[in-house]
Amino acid sequence: MPGYILRRLLGVAVILFLVSFLTFCIFFLLSPDPAVMICGKTCNPARIDQIREQLGVNQPFLAQFWQFLSGIFAGRTYGEGAAAIHCAAPCLGFSFQTNQSVVDMITARLPVSVTVAVGAAVLWLLIGISAGLVSAIKAGTWWDKGAMMFALGGISLPNYFIALVLQYVLVVQLQVLPFPSTPDFGEDPLFWFQSYIMPWTVLAFGYASMYARLTRANVLDTLGENFMRTARAKGLPSLLVLRRHALRPSLTPIVTLFGMDFAGLLGGALITETVFGLNGVGKLAADSIGKNDQPVIMAVTLMAAFFVVVANVVVDLLYAVLDPRVRVKS
Amino acid sequence: MNRTESKARDDGGALLEVRGLTVTFGTPRGDVDVVRDLSFTVDRRQTLGIVGESGSGKSMTSLAVMGLLPKGATASGSIRLDGVEILGKSDAALRKLRGNSMAMVFQDPLSSLNPYYTVGLQITEAYRAHHNVSRKAARAVAIEALDRVRIKDPHLRIDHYPHQFSGGMRQRIMIAIALCCEPDLVIADEPTTALDVTVQAQILELMADLQAETGTGMIFITHDLAVVSQVAQDVVVMNGGVQVEAGSTEQIFSAPQHDYTRALLAAIPRLDDDLEELKMVGDFRTGATR
Amino acid sequence: MSAGEPLLEARNLVKEFTTNTGGVLSGKKRAFRAVDDVSFAVGRARTVAVVGESGSGKSTTARMVARLMPADGGSVLLDGEDVTHGTGAALKHFRSQVQVVFQDPFSSLNPRHTVDRIITAPLDYQGMGVPGGKRQLVKGLMERVGLNPDHSGRYPSQFSGGQAQRIGIARALAVKPKLLICDEAVSALDVSVQAQVINLFKSLQAEDGYSIIFIAHDLAVVRQIAHDVVVMNRGAVVESGTRDEIFDNPTQPYTRSLLAAIPTINPEWEARRRVNEQRERAALT
Repeated sequence: MPGYILRRLLGVAVILFLVSFLTFCIFFLLSPDPAVMICGKTCNPARIDQIREQLGVNQPFLAQFWQFLSGIFAGRTYGEGAAAIHCAAPCLGFSFQTNQSVVDMITARLPVSVTVAVGAAVLWLLIGISAGLVSAIKAGTWWDKGAMMFALGGISLPNYFIALVLQYVLVVQLQVLPFPSTPDFGEDPLFWFQSYIMPWTVLAFGYASMYARLTRANVLDTLGENFMRTARAKGLPSLLVLRRHALRPSLTPIVTLFGMDFAGLLGGALITETVFGLNGVGKLAADSIGKNDQPVIMAVTLMAAFFVVVANVVVDLLYAVLDPRVRVKS
Repeated sequence: MNRTESKARDDGGALLEVRGLTVTFGTPRGDVDVVRDLSFTVDRRQTLGIVGESGSGKSMTSLAVMGLLPKGATASGSIRLDGVEILGKSDAALRKLRGNSMAMVFQDPLSSLNPYYTVGLQITEAYRAHHNVSRKAARAVAIEALDRVRIKDPHLRIDHYPHQFSGGMRQRIMIAIALCCEPDLVIADEPTTALDVTVQAQILELMADLQAETGTGMIFITHDLAVVSQVAQDVVVMNGGVQVEAGSTEQIFSAPQHDYTRALLAAIPRLDDDLEELKMVGDFRTGATR
Repeated sequence: MSAGEPLLEARNLVKEFTTNTGGVLSGKKRAFRAVDDVSFAVGRARTVAVVGESGSGKSTTARMVARLMPADGGSVLLDGEDVTHGTGAALKHFRSQVQVVFQDPFSSLNPRHTVDRIITAPLDYQGMGVPGGKRQLVKGLMERVGLNPDHSGRYPSQFSGGQAQRIGIARALAVKPKLLICDEAVSALDVSVQAQVINLFKSLQAEDGYSIIFIAHDLAVVRQIAHDVVVMNRGAVVESGTRDEIFDNPTQPYTRSLLAAIPTINPEWEARRRVNEQRERAALT
């Protein structure tokens, strides 16, 4: 087991290296010259060269990539002499736009994205799985048909559409909710909740729909298994048959999916955060893309990849814990 | 172990009496009878064999007795267990009988056991469904049950998962589950069909031994005439949901009356002779496109 | 080529699978020999049965011989030619000579294709022309396997299990193969249908003269169809010989235990039944 985890972590490192190399390639090859961007209106060739040197973008590609990588682990120094700026590890550079440290920018916004992700996840798991369960157990009834219609809606309607409609109806028309912003829980818990409830709902709606359909399909499959018949032949109460024998086989595959979805959300819910004006990592990414702020885009991309790759390992380990056929060899 | 009141009393009457059993499936194109007007009796210490090919209705018969028919199927007629009518009883009432007074052994032992739980849990839950005992006491019962079906090191094996056992061992576990509450009636539905022939021989021997020990009545459902000839005292031959012929095993095998039974017997490949069908039927191909 | 030379020879076939020992997570891998040094020969117009219980390696052996799975060692000779590793045209030629009939008739027939298309598929793959036309060939084949030729436009789901297996046989015979590999081809069938299909294999063999490798776990079925028998256990050949040698004088304890385990009907009852039936038949005539 420890050997396995070690090997998986090594795999994670390799994948992250490849992801960072690829993203670096794309920015190196496709982006406009950052020095020109920074230089602004009062610009001359000498000033541009100076900025290039300061940023280190006058060096060859591999050298730049090496500096970027070593910056993450050991920190790096931009420029020389009196103009030198040190960036402590983990260093992901400075924003071209605000000159802020990228790491600081992300750490400031990550809690917002985590709040969005956790809240949405709790909602979608509760709603999705229970709706799927009811649908499967009452398959073919109006309960089932209603829930599945609703789920179809959740899958078909785009996120931003639901977000805008919800915002228009609840905030602008009915005025039952304040205009959302990014509040602190400690200052005003009610406002905090009111601000997050819409993004949670919007995100949860789409995921819950998917999870409801998947749960329903899995439970229906499990109900048809021979061991369900065995359980009933033992004379077990129907609720125990369902709870013990149907639920675990049906929900185990959902763990995998959930791990990946949740990790994906930690990297920022780009659209939802933007629509609701939440200052999370997703909005940061959207803003940086709009302004071509390369260091920030790089960092956000890497972080998202990091969460997904780590989640992959965690999910695999969890699967082994949950499924004895994976854990114990015959 | 205390026998509960629902358990059968050995008063000389038949253990199981099925009269005019009809199982009907409602389909969009109307009702279809998968079992029609079937009657048979099972006595204590006796094994009744039900033989038939696929679609003969033999498995539906067993599920009807257990009250485990799939959705959309209804049973009519009469099923009396130890003199008490059980057809039409509420599910709660049937649940008290299932696993306790009547138990079942299924065809495919791997898929019939839940892969997520230890065999120990799967035996103890069957016992605890009918006995108000502690986990510890139930565990002792389960170890004893594993021991009775001749599984070595039962105190260790009880914590293993189904996939850690071979096919024959899994079927022993299914038998342990079925027998842990000392039922009066055991229904075995193709219990050896999925097993290798040497394993089949061992399981059949085990079932015979255990029946001799406990005195349960048994319904043995199979497509294999040779197997049924060895295990059953009486045989019902089914085809297309109806009883073709019934009688003592000796009668059925030495003097079959019905053409279907005869054709079935002729079609069995034998170890000591060529296929009779080839000798009997001139052009077998004409019979094929029926 | 001399008549005495076998049609097919399997020489020292080996197949290894790697398995995880001690759970997937430990990562310890071990090679497991599913087939270990298996050799046998198939004579012309003869049926060789390979029998064994689950895990004996009989199906893996069949798959290697049929070129459905690469062999890790050993060789397969067809008509004296090594066909173990041929690709492209050589493999295509091999497929025109060796055809396979599978266990589950329904899962091995494409449910969306008509019988007509299923039966002619191997011909199309081979790019073979058919004198007299494909339609005529399909009808002829369907008649030979005991199917109504008017049903050639139907789909597999419209047939019973036994009939579907006949479609599989017709498909295998379309290219006039020299060797038929039947992998548990009658195991999934009801006993009455099984007997018919066994007889079909035999009578078609008498007409066409193809050889058969018959993979089965049921020794009683093997007794009805095989000329020669290879008994396998745990990946290795235990014993091989002619049918009567194996059934009447098995030398290996494993073969004996296998034969002893087969349930049989009380011979006394059998004898009485036969006498009864003969008497009845005599009374009728």
